[in-house]
Amino acid sequence: MKTKTELIKFNQGLDLESGARLNTFDLMVETYGELNKDKDNAILVCHAFSGNHRAAGKSSDNEALGWWDEVIGSGKAIDTDKFFVVCSNNLGGCSGSSGPLSLNPETNKLYGKDFPLVSVTDWVNSQKLLSDYLGISKWHMVAGGSLGGMQALQWAISYPNKLKKAGIFATATKSSTQNIAMNEVGREAIRKDKNFMEGDYLNHNVKPKSGLKTARMLGHITYSSEDIMDQKFGRKFQDIKSKIEGTVDYEVENYLQYKGEKFSDTFDANSYILMTKAMDGYDASFSSNGSLEEVMKRIKAKLLVVGFDSDWLYPPKRSKEIQLAAMNVDVQCSCVILKGEQGHDSFLFASDRYVKIIKGFLDSK
Amino acid sequence: MNTSLIHIIKKWVPEKSKVIDFGCGDGSLLKDLIDEKKIRGYGVEIDHNKIQECIHKGISVIEKDIDEGIQDFESCNFDVAVMASSIQCLKEPHLALRKMLKLSKQCIVTLPNLGFWKCRLDLAQGRMPVTPNLPSSWYETKNLHLCTIKDFETLCFEEGFVINEKFFLDDKGAKSAMASTFPNTFASEGIYLIAKK
Repeated sequence: MKTKTELIKFNQGLDLESGARLNTFDLMVETYGELNKDKDNAILVCHAFSGNHRAAGKSSDNEALGWWDEVIGSGKAIDTDKFFVVCSNNLGGCSGSSGPLSLNPETNKLYGKDFPLVSVTDWVNSQKLLSDYLGISKWHMVAGGSLGGMQALQWAISYPNKLKKAGIFATATKSSTQNIAMNEVGREAIRKDKNFMEGDYLNHNVKPKSGLKTARMLGHITYSSEDIMDQKFGRKFQDIKSKIEGTVDYEVENYLQYKGEKFSDTFDANSYILMTKAMDGYDASFSSNGSLEEVMKRIKAKLLVVGFDSDWLYPPKRSKEIQLAAMNVDVQCSCVILKGEQGHDSFLFASDRYVKIIKGFLDSK
Repeated sequence: MNTSLIHIIKKWVPEKSKVIDFGCGDGSLLKDLIDEKKIRGYGVEIDHNKIQECIHKGISVIEKDIDEGIQDFESCNFDVAVMASSIQCLKEPHLALRKMLKLSKQCIVTLPNLGFWKCRLDLAQGRMPVTPNLPSSWYETKNLHLCTIKDFETLCFEEGFVINEKFFLDDKGAKSAMASTFPNTFASEGIYLIAKK
C-alpha cells in the first residue's frame, strides 16, 4: 500500500464558526493508494474524537496500526488498490495539524488553551481546502464513524456537489444530552487535575496526566458495551504480576488503567477539551432553526447510514433519524443496523456484513 | 416476482412518483421503476443478502421488519406503497394495510388466492395446498394469513378501502379469461391497487 504522510500549509486561512479566524493553518495528512488520472477515485475518511491522520497501516514496527486499519487497505472494504484514501488530523488535534500544541504564528508562542474553538463544520471547511489542494473536485465518498460520521454528514450538507457518496457510521445528527453529560465528566476530570493550570500547563512544563487518564477510562466504558465487557473480562481477577496499579482487583480495572495511562502519555488535554466541545456542539440542523429536513434537502450524495445494535453512545435510533429525515426530503439513503459486539467502537471493526455493505456501496452507481 | 406482475405494477405506478416497496427483495422492481419511470424509490427488507444486493444496485434500502416498522415512515408522504407477495406473511395484515394507506396515497398489494381451484382440490383430498404460488409445505411456509380473493375484497370493503384497479393471473402467471371472470376460483394470484375512500 503506497502511503504518504505530509504536513500541508494553508496560507489562505480559515474563518471559523465561532467568529475567530486562523490566518494560516497546517493539516497533517496521510494518503493511501494512488489518485487516478481522472481524479475520481478519492475517498476522504474523517477520524473520530481521539483519532488522527494515521488511518491505516503503520510506518514503523513499534507503532500501532492506524485507527481504521481493519477497513482500509489492499483488498479490504475500502480497497487501496482501487481507491486513493485521504485522512487528515482535525484542526485542534494534537497529531501534527494546527492545534493547541502548535506555534501561534501571531505570537510565536504555543497556542495552548488559546487555540480557538473549532467545530465539525470548520473541519469540513478545512478538508474542502485540502481537497482543492489535492486537485480533487469530487470525492467518490466521504466516510467516518462517530465524530467522523458527523463530518461525513456535514460534507454532504455543506458541499453537495463535491461528493458522490457519504458513509455515515455509528453517529447522529447531534450529540445527545447523555453524550454531552459524559463528555463533561471527562472534561471535569481534566480541569480538576492540579497540573491543568487552567489550560496553561505547557508554560509550566507539566501535563494533567491523571485527569486525562480518568477521562479516557470513562470514555472507554462508553465506547464498549455491557456484553463485550462481560466477554472480554468477565469477573476475572488480574494476575498479580501484570497489575498496573496495586489497587486493581479485576481485569477490567487493569485494562482501563492501561488504556487510560497510554492515552494520557500521547494526547493533549486542551485538544481533548476542544474535540469534545466540537462533538457536543454539533447539530446538523442548527443553521435551519432545528429543522433537519430543511438542511438535508441540500444533499445530493447517496448516503449509507450504519448503526450498531450494541452501541449505546450513538444507538441505532440515531442512525434511523438520519435515514428518516433523508427519506422525508427524497435524499437517497440506505440504513442498516448491524450486530456489533464492540459497542460504539463496532464501526472500527471489519465484520463480515459491514465489509460487504461498504464494498457494495462503493461499487454501486 | 413473475414478469406479468412486474408489468402491471409498472403500469400502475405514476411517473416520477415517490414509492416505497415493503419486502423489496433484491431491489429489482425498484431498479426497473427508477430506470423506466424515474421514480424516487425506497425499499424495506429484512434479509441480509437481499439488502446487500440492493445496496450494490444503488437502491436505497432500509433494514427493517415490516411487522414492526411500517408506521415509522408516516411522515414521508409516498405516492405508492408496494407490498408484493408478503401481506399474508405479516402478523396483522389488516393493520399493515391501514398503516400503509396512512403513509401513501395508494397501495399495491399482491396475494396468493387460497380459493384457487387447485388449492380447493388439494384440500378436498385432505391435504394442505401446494401450488406454484404456494410452494412450501405446511411446516415450512411463512404464510400466516392466507385468504381468498373474496376474503380480501371483503376486507377492503369493511376497512373502507377503494379498489382502484385489480388484475388476476392463473397459475402460469398469465392473464386468462377464466381467471379474470371467476377470480375466486380460477385466479392463482390477485394484484390490487387500493386507496382510502
